[in-house]
Amino acid sequence: MSKAAVAPASPLSRWWHKWRFHLNILLLLIPLGFMPKYFADAAMFRGDSGLGERDLGTIQVGPWQVQLAELRDEAPRADGPAGHFKAFNAALCNTCINEVKAAYLRIGKPRSLRAAGTIFFGPPYRMATNLPIPSKTKADAEIWITLEGWDGSMHQASIPLAKASPATLAWLNKQGGK
Amino acid sequence: MSKKSKSRLWFLVHSWLALPIWFFVLIVCVTGTLAVVSQEIVWLANPDVRASQPDGAAERLSYQQILDALHKAEPDMAVRSLSQPDGSHFAVTAAVTFADGSAPTLYVNPYTGAIQGKSPDFNFEAFTRALHGWWLVPFTNGYSWGWYLVSLLGLPMLASLVTGLVVYKKFWKGFFKPTLRFNHGARIFWGDFHRLSGIWSIWFIAVISITGTWFLIQAILGDNHISVSTEPVVPVIAREDVPRTDSGAPAARISVDEATRIAREQIPGLEVSFVSMPGNAYSHLYLGGRGWYPLMFQTVNVNPYNSKIESQFLIQDRSALEFVTESMRPLHTGDFGGLAIKLIWAFFGLLLSMMVLSGLLIWTKRTAQATAAALKRGERKQARTTPETATEASL
Repeated sequence: MSKAAVAPASPLSRWWHKWRFHLNILLLLIPLGFMPKYFADAAMFRGDSGLGERDLGTIQVGPWQVQLAELRDEAPRADGPAGHFKAFNAALCNTCINEVKAAYLRIGKPRSLRAAGTIFFGPPYRMATNLPIPSKTKADAEIWITLEGWDGSMHQASIPLAKASPATLAWLNKQGGK
Repeated sequence: MSKKSKSRLWFLVHSWLALPIWFFVLIVCVTGTLAVVSQEIVWLANPDVRASQPDGAAERLSYQQILDALHKAEPDMAVRSLSQPDGSHFAVTAAVTFADGSAPTLYVNPYTGAIQGKSPDFNFEAFTRALHGWWLVPFTNGYSWGWYLVSLLGLPMLASLVTGLVVYKKFWKGFFKPTLRFNHGARIFWGDFHRLSGIWSIWFIAVISITGTWFLIQAILGDNHISVSTEPVVPVIAREDVPRTDSGAPAARISVDEATRIAREQIPGLEVSFVSMPGNAYSHLYLGGRGWYPLMFQTVNVNPYNSKIESQFLIQDRSALEFVTESMRPLHTGDFGGLAIKLIWAFFGLLLSMMVLSGLLIWTKRTAQATAAALKRGERKQARTTPETATEASL
């Protein structure tokens, strides 16, 4: 304020004195830059861009089929002391909606239904779960889908983690390097 | 330090708090103002979200009746939750998932159960809140840095309030003798405006800056995994409590109205303004609404198989600290007392935006005047002395 009254000498410092308090308008570039990402995310959560960023196709689990997708094609996200998590979405086949009681996901084959892993939440057309990824997971690990029927039956299938989430595999390799 | 140079220092501090970031502060104030009344703006713009009553005699449907109407209209659609926004002029919103996996919000007439419309692709409410709250910076690992950027503004805002009152000597006199001079040029007008709106906004600026600073603290606590919540973590329903059916068909669940009736019977005075359907076979019906203390919600988890309330979080369950921390968000957003409070918040939000602008205008005009004066003096005195500078006397 006060010293601004002194006429500055060089053109650069004149420019600086004239515009220095308007440079913060450039902060507007931040939301402008993130806007495409914001709308892409909004569309994803509305389900307008499919089940997830990486569709893993339909997997036969016993008599039922389930479509699985990796929500985001990226490394697992940290959640403090709870560790790292990877979000997956799933959809049940239309004919099995009323037969399947619950769906679970786990790294490694579950020994029993009680240890089937993390349970999916949400309507059968679009269920979601957060799979814990221990940083010591082996690169050749498999993720197991367990479907539990209302009649007490249980069916399982697996896919290699490398196929389910290449980004997780890359992240695990990096963890091993540390 | 003399009294005069002290107040000059405060004045300098007051100027510098917002000046270098005035545009950022302005946009945050304007988007915050819009966010407060975003629901009302959508109500005005989109007839689908209005609860139009078909004829005077029609009564509001219960949540189960609305669910039944939705299932009848769209048999394949799954309903995730129903919610009655604050204000009976709003349609009930239903979060649904269609068979193709799309998951929009539907606006449902509370008298007929008719689906009036689907949420448009551009969600104005969510967008203004995201722009205001975290500058659209995505949350990837804990709180977004945009959230920090915006919530940090609470501190200079609080400091602006304090230094403004220190600089404005005997500001309380402004309450009795409001001054707003129109005929003395723009500088005088904006100066008067800045001070007048400032003193009438003391309470509001204090509320917004303190609650804004709370958002900063909340992020710091959250990112360091420190929780002050006493809200119970609800375990999934025990395996033995979820029936197995010989037919292989889903087990019967109690109706939403039955769950509401049970909850209201056991918790007198419980308002139910939203109902969330069980997320899977092992989860509860979750319902709740505002309590007698309107800044907080009371929620109940009902087991849909045996009708037991397995968890609840009521006003009286909160710790003293939670009364403070949980009040922060509604105090910031003004969404705890219907339209009247929102309009008050929006009005003062607009005034606060104008204070940022008027502060900038005062500064530029004063600097321009001071520069012109200095140049004149410089010409007269032929650079024998350094030009005098503006002081707080010219505020």
